[in-house]
Amino acid sequence: MEQFKKTVYRNSIIFALIHGATYLPAVWLLKHHVFEQSVSIIIAIVPIITFAIFIFKLIKAFSVMDEVKQRVQLEAVVIGFSLTVMLMMVLFLLNLCDISNPGWFGYGYLVCYCWLFYFVGWFISKKKYGV
Amino acid sequence: MKNTIKVERAKKNWTQEDLAGKIGISRQSINSIETGKFIPSTVLALKMAKVFGANVESVFQLEKQD
Repeated sequence: MEQFKKTVYRNSIIFALIHGATYLPAVWLLKHHVFEQSVSIIIAIVPIITFAIFIFKLIKAFSVMDEVKQRVQLEAVVIGFSLTVMLMMVLFLLNLCDISNPGWFGYGYLVCYCWLFYFVGWFISKKKYGV
Repeated sequence: MKNTIKVERAKKNWTQEDLAGKIGISRQSINSIETGKFIPSTVLALKMAKVFGANVESVFQLEKQD
């Protein structure tokens, strides 16, 4: 059982790395090179597929965690989600006031903020439960 | 909720790692439960009581504020 858990955890980390290894080059390619639209779409879809597989593996890893670790993950996701929604609301309301800064709050940056908020939640929750 | 996990462990001369291995959770999770930071589910509480050979009520007790 322990070996199975380790394999499941390892798989989720491997697919996180594979996603990172496809996402960053895809962003770089789409930003710095001009391709035909069909090629651009294919390049854009590859990291989405790896992300979907990563999320599937991550959910599988959550299911084999013990209940304390599951609670930590649940709270991390809740905190991360809440902070992301809050940020998006602030940006939307500021946009209505004609105040926006796409240089810092574009879609690409929102993805980074989303992950940042998840890790903030994870840190808080880990501290709370002492794990 | 208070618990007597530390006392029960001491009686059996088990480390947190030993107990964690017997009920299939991590050592950090045992520490979290033992220090009262996390209240375990009924299933986990029953598993713990079983490995200690005790009643669940003797391992976990409600406090006045619960």
